[in-house]
Amino acid sequence: MSTMDTLRTRIDALGETDHPVRRLVTPPGILVIPMSVLLLCMFIGPMLAIVVFSFQTGNSIALNPLEWSIATYQEVIGGMVSGEGVYGDVLVNTVAVSITTTALTLVVSYPAAYALAHKITRYKLVFLMILIIPLFTSVNIRVFGWALFLVQNGVLESIVNLFGVREYASLMYMRSTIILGTTYIYLPFMLFPIYLSMLSIEETTLEAAKDLGANRLTLFRKILLPLSKPGIIIGSLFVFVLSLGANVEAEILGGGSIFTMASNIQYSFGYSQNWPLGSTQAVGLLLITVVAGVVILRTIDLQEIAARGD
Amino acid sequence: MSTKHSAGLGDRFGDGLWYVYVGLVALFLMTPLVSLVIASFYDGRFFSIVDYEFTLGWYEAALTSGSVRGAFTNTVYISVPVTILSTIIGTAAAIAYTRYEFPFREQFKLFALLPIFFPLILLGLGMSMWSSQIGLGYGIVPSIIGELVWISPIVMFVVSITALGIDPNIEEAAKDLGADTITLYRKILLPLIADGVVSGAIFAFVLSWNNYYIVSYLSGPQSTITTWIHGRMTQGFTPVVPAVASLIFYVSILLVIGAAVFEYRSVDETK
Repeated sequence: MSTMDTLRTRIDALGETDHPVRRLVTPPGILVIPMSVLLLCMFIGPMLAIVVFSFQTGNSIALNPLEWSIATYQEVIGGMVSGEGVYGDVLVNTVAVSITTTALTLVVSYPAAYALAHKITRYKLVFLMILIIPLFTSVNIRVFGWALFLVQNGVLESIVNLFGVREYASLMYMRSTIILGTTYIYLPFMLFPIYLSMLSIEETTLEAAKDLGANRLTLFRKILLPLSKPGIIIGSLFVFVLSLGANVEAEILGGGSIFTMASNIQYSFGYSQNWPLGSTQAVGLLLITVVAGVVILRTIDLQEIAARGD
Repeated sequence: MSTKHSAGLGDRFGDGLWYVYVGLVALFLMTPLVSLVIASFYDGRFFSIVDYEFTLGWYEAALTSGSVRGAFTNTVYISVPVTILSTIIGTAAAIAYTRYEFPFREQFKLFALLPIFFPLILLGLGMSMWSSQIGLGYGIVPSIIGELVWISPIVMFVVSITALGIDPNIEEAAKDLGADTITLYRKILLPLIADGVVSGAIFAFVLSWNNYYIVSYLSGPQSTITTWIHGRMTQGFTPVVPAVASLIFYVSILLVIGAAVFEYRSVDETK
């Protein structure tokens, strides 16, 4: 028997017995493995590192599993509860920024998503392109663009000068500037989920409701709102979680004058080199993110998005 | 479509308002990008629209600067492997999820798509600590692996949507006609999902090209174009920065428009 034949019989034998090795080298096993290995090694691992480091003592940068401590938790949670020190401010700033951002993006996106799905017919592709391009531009570049727009001697000042305003007070380095930045950066994450859920509402449903005498308010309350609810939920969670992690916006537009959770985490890792303290704050962010992510993924129906064509 | 509601001056005026509103949102989204491009061509210290002094000097300075060129090279060294690998990993996972039944299929999807929803700062700093503990270190290779974690799931998402739109009966028919696994992939499955794979790959490149958070935690001493821009923004601004940022933006915009035209054409063909 030649080698090839031996090999072939062996592979056939594997197939008959449904050998685990064979299952791994044929689809779907071999298709699933790369992604699983990648995520286990570089996603689960790092997230575990955050959790483990948060229980370490002092300024350790090497793991010492025998020395556990909840000192950093006491510091962070104690500070947030009592509202004293930097953590009280951080909590208030972060929640204020994230909730305001979520509310603003929702208010701005909802009518736009409705219009794009049901009213805009001409130049629709152009509009969609303009809305999508910022998503694919570095957060740094967009925030930098806002800085160029807002700073003294910037674009905005030269525009208001045209209208005779001579006293231009810089709009940089305020909490509302950070909110402008986060609203801008995360707007597409609200707009597109709502847009997709609006697309699923048939034009005929809206026509039928109108024919049956529904006024605008009824149309909104009884049809648009319930049918676009998945989009609103996905978009809101998405924006809330991502804006919790907004660091560049706070750093550049806030000029380091306002501390949010993300900038505080960054500070703990960068300047003060305190990994356990930074990790403890990151664990809070991690918990919120995992819960929101799972809810989003359970709400998204890939099949339905696919059925809509484009 | 009923004709009852169309026509009528009031309705047309109402529709016009919707265009105005979406136009304003689009304007808002374009504001910083337009500011950036305007600033990149401006020669002078105090910005003014009235007497705008046009120059290409900053672009010239950007393209001849050694540190900028080094950062560009590093970015390409990261983006190209990320694009190739994430397209393979993401497409494979998408085919598995959409075309096969296997145990824990739904859990696999949940797990594989979860990184998309993570704030990048969280991924970046976790990877940075992990990398130092397992001895992976910092540099180009760790940055590539790090970006793959975020970008492969996005490719999987894009390809899954395309793959779910394909009738599963086509494959059944091919199998009944005696196609083996390799023929099935080469002649049927891959050509059908090719559009999704190409747009996934373009998105992967553009996202990697623009990534800041993950590379800032993993690139170590190597500067990429986004970390270079960030460094110059926070310490030592020069007028070259808008030009460099604009160059990055031009590449992104061309590719995104390319991807959109590609998608649009293929959707048209199938109709």
